[in-house]
Amino acid sequence: MSHDFKTGDIYVKLSLLFLSIGFFRRHQIIKGILFSIIQIGFILFMIFTGIPNLSRYNTLGTIQFESVYNPITRRNEVNNYDHSFKILLYGLISIIVIIVYVYIHLKNIHTQRKLQWCEAEGQHINTFKEDLIQLKDDRFHITLLTLPVSGIVFFTIIPLLFMILVAFTNYDQLHMPPTKLFSWVGFRNFEILLTTGSNTVTFGYAFRKVLTWTLTWAFFATFLNYIGGIILALLINSKYTKWPKLWRTIFVITIAVPQFVSLLLVRHFFADQGIMNTLLSSNIPFLSDYTWIDWIRQLGLIGANREFVPFLTDPVWSKVMLILINCWIGFPYVMLITTGVLMNIPKDLYESAEIDGANKFQLFAKITMPYMLFVTAPYLITNFVHNLNNFNVIYLLTSTRVTSNQLLANANASDTDLLVTWLFKLTQDYYNYKMASVIGIMMFLLSAIFTLLAFNYTIKSNKEDRFQ
Amino acid sequence: MSRTPDQIKRAAKSKKRIKTILHNGLLAVLSFFWLIPIFWLIASAFNTDRGVNIRQFFPMNWTLDNFYQLFFQTDSVANFPRWFLNTLTVAVFACIISSLFVLMVSYTMSRLRFNMRKPLMNIGVILGLFPGVLSMIAIYFILKSLGLTDSLLALIIVYSASSGLGYLVAKGFFDTIPKSLDEAARIDGATQWDVFWRIIIPLSRPIIVYTVLLAFLAPWVDFVFANIIMTSRDTNKFTVAIGLYNMLDRNLVNNYFSLFTAGAVVVSIPISVLFIFMQKFYVEGVTGGSVKG
Repeated sequence: MSHDFKTGDIYVKLSLLFLSIGFFRRHQIIKGILFSIIQIGFILFMIFTGIPNLSRYNTLGTIQFESVYNPITRRNEVNNYDHSFKILLYGLISIIVIIVYVYIHLKNIHTQRKLQWCEAEGQHINTFKEDLIQLKDDRFHITLLTLPVSGIVFFTIIPLLFMILVAFTNYDQLHMPPTKLFSWVGFRNFEILLTTGSNTVTFGYAFRKVLTWTLTWAFFATFLNYIGGIILALLINSKYTKWPKLWRTIFVITIAVPQFVSLLLVRHFFADQGIMNTLLSSNIPFLSDYTWIDWIRQLGLIGANREFVPFLTDPVWSKVMLILINCWIGFPYVMLITTGVLMNIPKDLYESAEIDGANKFQLFAKITMPYMLFVTAPYLITNFVHNLNNFNVIYLLTSTRVTSNQLLANANASDTDLLVTWLFKLTQDYYNYKMASVIGIMMFLLSAIFTLLAFNYTIKSNKEDRFQ
Repeated sequence: MSRTPDQIKRAAKSKKRIKTILHNGLLAVLSFFWLIPIFWLIASAFNTDRGVNIRQFFPMNWTLDNFYQLFFQTDSVANFPRWFLNTLTVAVFACIISSLFVLMVSYTMSRLRFNMRKPLMNIGVILGLFPGVLSMIAIYFILKSLGLTDSLLALIIVYSASSGLGYLVAKGFFDTIPKSLDEAARIDGATQWDVFWRIIIPLSRPIIVYTVLLAFLAPWVDFVFANIIMTSRDTNKFTVAIGLYNMLDRNLVNNYFSLFTAGAVVVSIPISVLFIFMQKFYVEGVTGGSVKG
């Protein structure tokens, strides 16, 4: 870049100040006008949005919202207050705009130098029309990517960066713009979440609890479903099974129904006053005056004076039920995914093992599972990451339950919450954006660790000869 | 005691029959358990009782009134025809935009070579690691500052703007189309634009069908993002998913449960049929995408 600048002529040097001057010199009028518009647009943007917001970026605003009754106009008049949220957001957008603009500017010097060289050597300089044609050919990737990438920038990247910034502020219900200001607090929110000091006791406690349950849940949800799904697939594809297509379709139907329908139904099915408890309060066949509930009570699974089974309300019951209900979705899902791989296991492996006298279980444990684990390990880890963030199952089944654990309740968490549902509740119901953002960053780190593991495994597992 | 070959054959045959019965019997029992919620859904949709039926599994009296009410007797809580129209509008536009985005990005990443290709793909992987609901809050405020919340346009934007990130499955498909095809076309003077529209797109019908269907289905089943965007609680602006979800609100469930199940049956049938129809692509998508990372 600096070499281009030093060797360039006066127009190249001036292009550091005037983006488009070189284009006019080389008779690329339309391009010159376009780049002038970019530069003027940038200057206007900086004057009206960039500078006002960035100049207040270190404080996120100092003038508090005030509404004063003006006796002359007989109206409440609002002062020219600072809106911390807008300062944070527009400041962030300004920074991105500046980075993009500086990039264009530096790149432009190189372009100008090249134009100068073309002119000196008598080379052909593209007309605007030729530039456009290039967009259909050599620079086709720009044509194809511009819209999708700007969609991602505006609706994924900027929101994410914004939420990451929020993690370092005190933006919560007590600091809600426009009436209140919020400001930077450094790493204090991370401290609140990660330590169990005296005044931050609840969040630190809740985070550990929720994290433990998130990992436990993801482990069971992934591996139970994995084994169950493979057994189901083996059962359906066994040579003794008639109408495999019919069985397959039946199981696939259960995952084809939208989850907000099937899971909400299941929630009402297992409610405290739900149909399952009604069925359980009927008598056990041939035993008069002895109901299923009595039996469950005698086993000590529910409290002595309970008249129903708290399937989704008791901390322990609900966790077990969540994992079991997840099997209902998970078995067919894994069955669907793994059927193809199962069919590819070399048949001679089984035949030679059978000749050696291996039984069904040994075949499953020594051939099927190792083979499946070997082939589907990356999928297994991706699925684990997916389960860490399995919003639907947990939210649809237990979003209405209230916890009796006061320490959890103080942090707006509940026994069955995963990090993702906790985050959702913190933002939607309690407007605690600062803590939600910190939790979001933690979830990113968690997912990143396991995804890196998956990547690592895929690279390592290139020794494919093990089963060939 | 030695057995005649005939006896051995017969023993093997009866052993096989027992195994067949066991296998199919077990599957029948499992299917029964798996279908209980589906049975309950359908049974409740025909129930004369409007609340959650907790007395018995199957309704006492069967009726078609729920379906009639769903379509022809709308009220301030339930306006199913309107929701259906809303969702259809959102689905059609979101589907067109996001299918185009997905195909454009996946073709670029599969076929074209340029400096930023690898970095862009890596950024895509990193973005995928953040929980979606986290950015949703900021998206809500961005849409609000544009004055767009509570509108179908906002939903279309939310469902399609970032769809380019979901390019991996289609890229995997494009990777399998022989490169010699485009090279031959290039020698004959075709531009990349021609290669994309005249060669790749016509050859990619299966993956286009998959992409289009997946994009079309998303607005019908999503209740999280739609719920965040539609803050005014004006039921006329709901989609099917949040409308039905809303019916199970604590204050409404006793009057609207059977209506919810009727609506759920109406939307679930086409969605299930589509899913069963495209399960093969779905499997390829999941396994192909995850293995390639």
